[in-house]
Amino acid sequence: MNDDIKKALKEIVGEDNFTDRLIDMVSYSYDASEHSSRPDCAVWAENVEQVSEILKTADKHRIPVIPRGAGTGLSGMVVPVKGGIVLDLNRMNRILKISIEDRLAVVQPGVVYADLDRALAPYGFFFPPDPGSGSVCTLGGNVATNAGGVKGAKYGTTRDYVLGLQVVRADGRIMRTGASTIKCVSGYDLTRLIVGSEGTLGVVTEITLKINPKPTAASTAVATFGNLEDAGRAVTRIMSSGIIPAVMEIMDLPTIQAINQNTDLGLPEVEAMLLVETDGYTQVETDYQLSKVVEVFKENHSLDIKQAASRDEAAVLWKARKSAYAVLARIQTHFVLEDVTVPMGRITDLLRGIGDISKKYDLRIATFGHAGDGNLHPQILYDGYNPDETARMKQAVADLFKLSVELNGTLTGEHGIGIAKASFMSLEHDDVEMETMRAVKRAFDPNNILNPGKMALEAN
Amino acid sequence: MEAKYDFERKYRKQILQCSRCGYCQAVCPIFGITHRPSFNARGKMLLLKEVMDGKIDLNEELIDTLFQCTTCAACKENCPSGVNVPEIIKQARKDMVNIGSCHPAFTGMNEVLQKNTNIYAEDEPEDFGRERNKKADYVYFVGCVGLYREDEATEATLDLLDRLDVDYTLVDEACCSGVLEDVGHSINTDLADKNIETILATGAHTVITGCPYCYRTFKNKDAYAPLREKGIQLVHMAQFLKDLDISVTTDLKVTYHDPCDLGRHCGIYEEPRQTIRKIAPNFVEMAHHHADSLCCGSGGGVRGAFPKNSLKMARHRLDEALDVQADVLLTECNSCVHNLANAKLRKDKIRIMNTTQFINELMEEAE
Repeated sequence: MNDDIKKALKEIVGEDNFTDRLIDMVSYSYDASEHSSRPDCAVWAENVEQVSEILKTADKHRIPVIPRGAGTGLSGMVVPVKGGIVLDLNRMNRILKISIEDRLAVVQPGVVYADLDRALAPYGFFFPPDPGSGSVCTLGGNVATNAGGVKGAKYGTTRDYVLGLQVVRADGRIMRTGASTIKCVSGYDLTRLIVGSEGTLGVVTEITLKINPKPTAASTAVATFGNLEDAGRAVTRIMSSGIIPAVMEIMDLPTIQAINQNTDLGLPEVEAMLLVETDGYTQVETDYQLSKVVEVFKENHSLDIKQAASRDEAAVLWKARKSAYAVLARIQTHFVLEDVTVPMGRITDLLRGIGDISKKYDLRIATFGHAGDGNLHPQILYDGYNPDETARMKQAVADLFKLSVELNGTLTGEHGIGIAKASFMSLEHDDVEMETMRAVKRAFDPNNILNPGKMALEAN
Repeated sequence: MEAKYDFERKYRKQILQCSRCGYCQAVCPIFGITHRPSFNARGKMLLLKEVMDGKIDLNEELIDTLFQCTTCAACKENCPSGVNVPEIIKQARKDMVNIGSCHPAFTGMNEVLQKNTNIYAEDEPEDFGRERNKKADYVYFVGCVGLYREDEATEATLDLLDRLDVDYTLVDEACCSGVLEDVGHSINTDLADKNIETILATGAHTVITGCPYCYRTFKNKDAYAPLREKGIQLVHMAQFLKDLDISVTTDLKVTYHDPCDLGRHCGIYEEPRQTIRKIAPNFVEMAHHHADSLCCGSGGGVRGAFPKNSLKMARHRLDEALDVQADVLLTECNSCVHNLANAKLRKDKIRIMNTTQFINELMEEAE
């Protein structure tokens, strides 16, 4: 990148908001995936006008721009594979408005999920998606990735709550999409298109979110199953029982074994554990829902059921599930954490298939995740400094994606495509759909400066 | 390939274990004020990983981030992968000092403690009008900040000890020099030996420290093993206060700031709260407290080396106390008091002090 462009960027954002120093270039090379690639420089934008000017400059000179939030993504979405300018939006972190009467919040993209949660708490409201990285991820990132979380089955994902956006187009023009209303069918739904577009269509500079009243009561239970098929059947039967639990998490045997090897939780080593939480506004209501779930567990040969009598007891039941990621992260120096998602009726098939892949490639794969919405997280452990093991990991990932698509599932339920899954896009999407996606990309960003190299939008 | 640096020899596995999840950003005080990923723990681990991979050199370009860490350990506490970031940073700083890349403020700190007995290079020993080095049950070990910067806090603490009829003595203190381990250098054993000798000479059975860092150093560092071997009890003032019968109370709204050295580094969270709740029923926690407490920004040599950001971190923390509308912000560390007070504006009505100081004031008023 030549000095004139750097000078122009400095003029837009100020000296203090521009960097091309080595320490910054290294940290902006990464997200939470195993991918990395250095940008040429980075800027911290402080307002929409600066974002607009940055994009005008970049578009004129055909320089890639990679919008970035907290960088907690797991698919290389913010890794600057083609260099360019990292557009860090963390300093645009103001909550602009909370309107309980209109049931909405207006925020800048750099607001951290947990900060919005803290701000809404006094009103008894919340923004439900609850991603695992909620303490640190930004709402701009949530929008760009259509982030989900443990409560997807009942509450949906980010997209279900975004009412409107302010977006800067690749050429620097500013547009508003959607409305400040709960309902809106006025024109194409560009809002929903931009949510989950991974920074490839525009830079989101303001977000209007629908918010929900926060349930005040919850009931929690954990059940163990000696047989994976029984657990799988329990999940689908719960879905047809009329109850939608707020949380329904599953852990498989390799996950349970890993937890037992590294903690003193002493879990029973069974084929599957299900953790269920029902929520509502009175204990009677949530207990009733849970009793229905427990009935289904029993009908499907659960071995043992533990119900929490208090919040403290619920925290104990949650402990195993919450420790899964950390325990697995410590076993090997490297891992990939996938998020394949299948129709709920195919969860057992997916788990069996993952077991086969683990054996085939002699890799430790532990799977846990959101059984309630069919979104599982196989965590594949490997030594990234061992070329043979790394190659086997890559083959295992390819098999996993193939399996998920064969089961009528998707490559990704909540982590996104980024670069990690870009080469698998055609597994799931036919040629016509891919061409349509590419046409949309060209319409929004004819010079391909916005987060290029992601989502297989450039092939053909 | 053979490891080039000690940080790699000691911590290679841990550095690789950083899964880059970025959860440390939620609690890193420097990230909190800069929003700059290279200053966060993840950014630091990535730089060290690239050094190990031979992609970048360990050199002066890294000073700004590797030396800009208060070693508050909030990242370690919140790390799902169990990475002990502060220890890794401290080792990397030593490696940098070995190759001649050190922040000048840290070099200066080491030089001062080679020639002087306190961190501020002050010549006149402070005695607060009290006899030093006498025979007593307790030694009250003030620490450099309390001796030379926060003298009002120390004066009040000593008054309180007098009021409570504690049989204590001050001693001719040398800096515990524990901080040198944090800034790329090593503890000064001459100073440690001097402290051990003066403490033992008093015949005291217990050392009460005013400074959590001195407490941590006496308690854990090899250089102070003789104190422990002689059976000398080591307590911080917060632990000592907890068991005392203090009957004054206040209606003021009080909050408590956990000093990193007392909280995360020594696990002492409840004792200060027990004391404060007794005197201030209207006690309130800030948004971040206990193990999640935000650092005041003064530790790890950062106040000396990066004063602007140190002050911003203090302001960030002070804002949390103002957010809960506290009248009084109590803590148990003179260094925290010093930094937080520096960040206070004239318009902020909040008072910032050590618990001892506050209790002494209440007792004075009650008399």
